[in-house]
Amino acid sequence: MKSERSMKLAIAVITIGMLFVGCAKKEPAPEPAPAPTTAAVSEAPQKPSSNSVYFAFDSSELDAAASATLDAHADWLNANPDVSITIEGNCDERGSREYNLALGQQRADSVRDYLVSRGVSSTRIDTVSFGEERPACTGSGEACWAQNRRADIVTR
Amino acid sequence: MRLSLVLLLSYCLSWTAQAAEFDIYQSDYRPLQLAWMVHTDIKYDVENHLLHDVVENDLTSSQSFAALDPLSYLAPVDEALQQVDYSDWRIIGADVLVLCRLTPLKEGWQAEVQVHDPFRSKQLSSIVLKAPDTSLRTLAHRVANHIYRTVTGTPGHFTSHILFIQKRGAFSDLIHMDQDGANRQVIGKNFTLLLSPDWSPDEHVVALNTYVGNHPRLEFFDLATGTRTTFGNFKGLNSTPEFSPDGRYVAATLSYTGNAEIHIYDLKTKRWRQFTHHPGIDTTPTWSPDGKWIAFASNRSGSPQIYRQALDGGAAIRVTTVANYNTSPVWSPKGDRIALITRKKWEYALATVQVDGSNVRYLATGKRIESPSWSPNAQMLLYSAENNGIRQIFRVPSWGGRAEAITSVGMDASDPAWSRK
Repeated sequence: MKSERSMKLAIAVITIGMLFVGCAKKEPAPEPAPAPTTAAVSEAPQKPSSNSVYFAFDSSELDAAASATLDAHADWLNANPDVSITIEGNCDERGSREYNLALGQQRADSVRDYLVSRGVSSTRIDTVSFGEERPACTGSGEACWAQNRRADIVTR
Repeated sequence: MRLSLVLLLSYCLSWTAQAAEFDIYQSDYRPLQLAWMVHTDIKYDVENHLLHDVVENDLTSSQSFAALDPLSYLAPVDEALQQVDYSDWRIIGADVLVLCRLTPLKEGWQAEVQVHDPFRSKQLSSIVLKAPDTSLRTLAHRVANHIYRTVTGTPGHFTSHILFIQKRGAFSDLIHMDQDGANRQVIGKNFTLLLSPDWSPDEHVVALNTYVGNHPRLEFFDLATGTRTTFGNFKGLNSTPEFSPDGRYVAATLSYTGNAEIHIYDLKTKRWRQFTHHPGIDTTPTWSPDGKWIAFASNRSGSPQIYRQALDGGAAIRVTTVANYNTSPVWSPKGDRIALITRKKWEYALATVQVDGSNVRYLATGKRIESPSWSPNAQMLLYSAENNGIRQIFRVPSWGGRAEAITSVGMDASDPAWSRK
């Protein structure tokens, strides 16, 4: 148990390290960047490119990657107060369909709660669960299932 | 510390040993050998064969009977109807001999049925069944019910009906058929997502979960008129409706309170009340046949397990103690057991347990095995499972026996619901 935890920590450290490496690589010419540009970027956040967050089996907990995606969405939503969204919760095909409907709802609700905690008004957020009825990937195997255990943020 | 390591190790070992497959429960029950003959005037040969075949198919499909080869019969039906010589039937090993005289009425048909036990040289029952305005098929199912009840002491389920859902691309249809698959017809067409249909006890109405404009709702579907009435349209989930045994209430899953809870709808007052109160997921309610309890799946312990809770108050009592994933409870109409879907490692099985959680019986495994439904006499279970990417409905005796597909590979079929009588 202890070793598993330290393993996870190690992975987390490595992942964070890689993130920094990624950031460093993506800034090839940072020096001439003038201050007004930075201000303009923070004033108008871009719509995040990813509209999906992913979950572990039988879980509605948000991991670090999901939180990062949702932080970007929260910034964008806070900058665009006239936009309303629907969060669609989905599951992979394993387990009972009826239970998966409830699990999909719990996933959608946990995304909603996170966005609300980041200042997005709950009146702008609708949630729906499709359980395992709307798979993004039709097939078996973890590669496919992992894509189906997701919540999608759909702009209305 | 050392002890817990040893325990953990032995747990892992036994887990690995069992994980490959479930130990499917098989009773040592030997089907009763059935000799079954119908007598008619020669000009009603077609009707004779229809009655004969429907009854034989009903009885053998229950797996409580096996039909003897008519070529082995030592006496023709007209002779046996005059006088039964039991030794003729003992010699070919007939446990049950059934003789029937089918005669036309002014309108419809009449069946005189005699059930004999050759090994006790005894007539067990004799009855005259008339079908003035119903089909010969329905009469045949009533004959099968009579034979089944006479011999096993349990009512037959052969006049019952089955609903299921056929998915065609983005649309779903609601299908109705006799329990033997005959008279199959589409009764509701082009639903956008259709889940969990449940019969009202009087068979007039179906409660179901459908989606309209990407929002789930609960509807009553009137079987006679096709009228759809919404009775649950809350924020979030509106799913898994199940009628109470007296037909007055429907229990279902709603999540407008913030998470999935069981709520109960009163058809008389048209009002909802919340039944469970727990921050975990509570879903798939099922009523005990006396209407005093509701069992449901809940992940309040961390993984989905079956609980039961009394209608007149009190805490939820955990039912399942084996396996860390148990869902889709359905209470047997006899009340003694609960059917469910359980998981070991990554294999799923249909199982039943006693209401106290003991005596687990694994009845069938299958990919995406789901949606158990009891026959009205609690002798059989339906479920759906996937075969080469197509879901089919299967039937298996609740006392252990062969699982048999009852829908073809030509359609995607799921969510079977067996009528309650």
